[in-house]
Amino acid sequence: MNIVYRALRILIKIYTDIRDRITPGWSQKNSSRIREWELMAYAFSKSKIGVLGGFMVFITVVLAIIGPIISWEPYWIYKTITDPKLMYLPPCLPPWCSGRPILGTDEWGRDIVAMSLYGFRISFVISIVVVFFGSVIGIVLGLVSGYKGGVVDEIIMRLTDIFMAFPSLILAIAFAAVLPSRIRGFLGENIWFRNILSTIFGLRPQEYPQLAALLSVWIAMVVVWWPGYTRIIRGTVLSVREHPFIEAAKLCGLSTWRILVKHILPNVLSPVIVMITFDMATATLFAASLSFLGLGPQEPVPELGYMISKAGRYFPERSLHVVAYLGLVLLFIALGWNLLGDALRDVLDPRTRRALEFREEKV
Amino acid sequence: MGLAHYLARRVITFIPTLIGVLLITYIVAYAIPADPVRAWVGEKLLNREALEMVRKKYKFDAPWYEQFAFFVQQLLTGQLEDPIRYRNVFSEIFFRFGITVELALISFLFLVAIGIPLGIVAAMKKDSPVDFFVRIFALIGSSLPSFVLYYFLILILFVYYRTTSLAGIPLPSQTCTDFISSLPNQIPVLGYIVSAIGSVPMFGAAMCGEGGVVVETFRRLYLPALALALLSGGFIARIVRNSILDVMGSEFILYAKARGLSKLKIWGHALKNAMIPIVTVLGLNFGGLLSGAVIAENVFNIPGIGKYMYDAITRLNFPVIIASTFLVALIYLVVNFVVDIIYAVIDPRIRY
Amino acid sequence: MQSSGEKVVLNDGEVLRVEKLEVRFYTYAGVVHAVSNVSFYVREGETIALVGETGCGKTITTRAITKLIESPGRIESGIALFRRRNGQIVDLLKLDDEEIRKIRGDEIAYVFQDPSAALDPLYTVGYHFIETVKAHRNNVSKKNIIYLAIKLLREVAIPSPEVRVKNYPHELSGGMRQRSVIAISLSNMPKLLIADEPTTNLDVTIQAQILELLQELQKRYGMSMILITHNLGVVAETANRVYVMYAGKIVEEGNCETIFYNSAHPYTQLLLKAVPNPLKKIEKLESIPGTVPSLINPPPGCRFHPRCPFAMDICRKEEPPKIKLDDNHYVFCWLYTKR
Repeated sequence: MNIVYRALRILIKIYTDIRDRITPGWSQKNSSRIREWELMAYAFSKSKIGVLGGFMVFITVVLAIIGPIISWEPYWIYKTITDPKLMYLPPCLPPWCSGRPILGTDEWGRDIVAMSLYGFRISFVISIVVVFFGSVIGIVLGLVSGYKGGVVDEIIMRLTDIFMAFPSLILAIAFAAVLPSRIRGFLGENIWFRNILSTIFGLRPQEYPQLAALLSVWIAMVVVWWPGYTRIIRGTVLSVREHPFIEAAKLCGLSTWRILVKHILPNVLSPVIVMITFDMATATLFAASLSFLGLGPQEPVPELGYMISKAGRYFPERSLHVVAYLGLVLLFIALGWNLLGDALRDVLDPRTRRALEFREEKV
Repeated sequence: MGLAHYLARRVITFIPTLIGVLLITYIVAYAIPADPVRAWVGEKLLNREALEMVRKKYKFDAPWYEQFAFFVQQLLTGQLEDPIRYRNVFSEIFFRFGITVELALISFLFLVAIGIPLGIVAAMKKDSPVDFFVRIFALIGSSLPSFVLYYFLILILFVYYRTTSLAGIPLPSQTCTDFISSLPNQIPVLGYIVSAIGSVPMFGAAMCGEGGVVVETFRRLYLPALALALLSGGFIARIVRNSILDVMGSEFILYAKARGLSKLKIWGHALKNAMIPIVTVLGLNFGGLLSGAVIAENVFNIPGIGKYMYDAITRLNFPVIIASTFLVALIYLVVNFVVDIIYAVIDPRIRY
Repeated sequence: MQSSGEKVVLNDGEVLRVEKLEVRFYTYAGVVHAVSNVSFYVREGETIALVGETGCGKTITTRAITKLIESPGRIESGIALFRRRNGQIVDLLKLDDEEIRKIRGDEIAYVFQDPSAALDPLYTVGYHFIETVKAHRNNVSKKNIIYLAIKLLREVAIPSPEVRVKNYPHELSGGMRQRSVIAISLSNMPKLLIADEPTTNLDVTIQAQILELLQELQKRYGMSMILITHNLGVVAETANRVYVMYAGKIVEEGNCETIFYNSAHPYTQLLLKAVPNPLKKIEKLESIPGTVPSLINPPPGCRFHPRCPFAMDICRKEEPPKIKLDDNHYVFCWLYTKR
């Protein structure tokens, strides 16, 4: 069979073994669920788009983790101050040319490939945190709003309306413009927090004003991110709530929270997973857009959007290669997540899965 | 009565939303630690009295709620003044908004022209190379950093082939503008409406018969409009495709076939039913375009509402931020409202 | 099986004769043998019933007759002779798209299973009539069609039909929608009406009404009818002859009484024990062990053998032949072969 399927099955096996270790007999009790997972794994492995997307996401994540560690050039050294000729060196591909960075340099004479490795980390950290907090807040509010109804629902929906009525980029810009100076003071005082942040972003603690900017991008994006989830979850909950099994659960005397978490949440999970995957791409591009507009970190942080906006000033005469390469990096990250999400949407749809079941019996 | 009642109720829910938007804008703006007045007046005019005067004028010496009430009152009476340009905020906003409307309309035309036919073809030829192309086009469109696309479009269509310009905005002649702004005085109610429509430069020019300006506007704006449409065209096409396929798989289409209806009739049923989700997405998209494409307006140097808001934020221009956020929120609500009305027109089931 | 060399003819008094119909679905999971070697006929003015569990190919069989099979599905072979209104006899499966379209909805009409989904929610009931008639007789005026619609709606016992023609589907109750669908299907006075589980989604009281209605209309217009159902009570009430299907094949055919009192095939017998039999007194309902097999790899030999209590060796290897037990009573089962 195929490698992807085998790898995914091993992952499922590991997970069930762990669950079995914790609560013996778990895998027997959940055998139909495990079978469902295996079917999903099979359907996924058959999707070329999904496998390609998964591969690209894998590379993105690996580079995000090891990028700042393997990067061969420190980002904080402004080489052009001593040697102005290094500014925007054109690409230098091995057979024809050697001794210079392969894809050229940026305005400070730094190797753009080395810089993009830091960029992978920064944009990954921003997007995953934003999507995580945004989706958690959105899901909780959506569940409560959809299930409780009445006044609570009305208040939450008005609140989401307010936040959705803002153009998200403008609201984020406003937050990103207002927050940094406050956060900067906080980071200046709390050295431990500064250290944690700098490790997460792969930057030096000295850059704490820039860390403050990154943190404010986080907050700004979370603020505009949750309403989308709230809307979708609420809609799904409203339709799930009508099913007889919820009525049955209520009659059994289950508490509201138990019904929400045990019975409603699993039913809204697959659209949420798909949405989260797509949102990783959107958040990456959104963060890049904010820093492109100059509202993210500043010098010397090699954030992808910021580097493109700087290179834009010399576009296209001197910096075509910088814009093209860094643009491709962003495209690569976002496309990976989008391809993965597109395939997951098919795989998580029970209709396509059921069509596959027959084949499985034959194999 | 049902529909009118529903619509009235919807309009009433606008009010808390708009107040909320204003309040949040105000809080965000209030949280700015720097002294906005200092930023407005500028370093060179640092004389104490002038500063104090401005401060008094905008109630910066009063408690926050009084200040907020002052802003809201000024906003609703249309007296808010841009403290940097010393002009009425609304005249500036209407001018900027007119340009954004031009960009949004042209872009929307491209979007519909790209998205709907592609979606229909993809649905007709499901699982064919065309369908696959639409899927990839949609995925790349939503994965491309917009500003990079803008740069490269500028490189090709402006730097290499000078098919457009990146400076200024074509405006109708002064006599034309004067004529249009005098309309409300001449015709009672209709005059206001016509004048509002005419405040979009392109439409104003068309009303005065200045066709050259309209052509120039297209030449100036087609590139950013096309770029915006390329980014979401594939996505729209996918939505169109999926909703058509959803409908085509439904029972009533099969029954239509069983009744011996012609292919054309059956597609008619499918398209009309598929319109409901398509209208939503197109409506939201148009609303997004109307609230200003900040990045596109910045890169292509278009003095629209998005760029105006962006400049206002970076310069801490309070009154402008509040007024323009208010406007944009209002647009969002109105667009949603219009989408709902279109629903009710298409779908007889919706009778609130 | 015999070669297709033998000539199929439509006997006098028959409207439709289907021979050796074969429908497969080419899903990417594999080939589904949805309908295999199905033959049956319908006489003028007669009602036949196709009976069987869900997923046994009843619906697909009837849809294949007018080539209403969607893309992964394909009609592999078979003949479906149909006597048209003008007396001409055609093989429906050999007609091109336009010719078959002209027959659909005009001479052969369908009533589908789910009444709430069969009408386009965006159009009025009257519009459906207009469309259906105009598709076949373009010269009829809209006004006349609406008159006809009101008359038909009244015949299917819809109160105040003058109002109802102007209603949208969602403004009607489930029962009314089903009756409207029946009326729409009748709007071209078809020769053959195919009613696919016409009562499944309805209240018991309405079920009876609809069935009575169908019988009455059938008599009045001299239609033939194919009734698809898994409800044996319905069969007993309406059908002249019954075809029992299992896993894409016909296993037994016979008159209604024969099937209920003298059923021969083990599947039919078990099926009768599994439902409250309207014609017989049974103490206890039984279920048939096992499930309908996957039609991607149908079991070799008789398709029922995995669940059959009398399965023999030969059942697992060879397909059972068609055996005549009586006039009009045939069974496909090895139990009845003479050695």
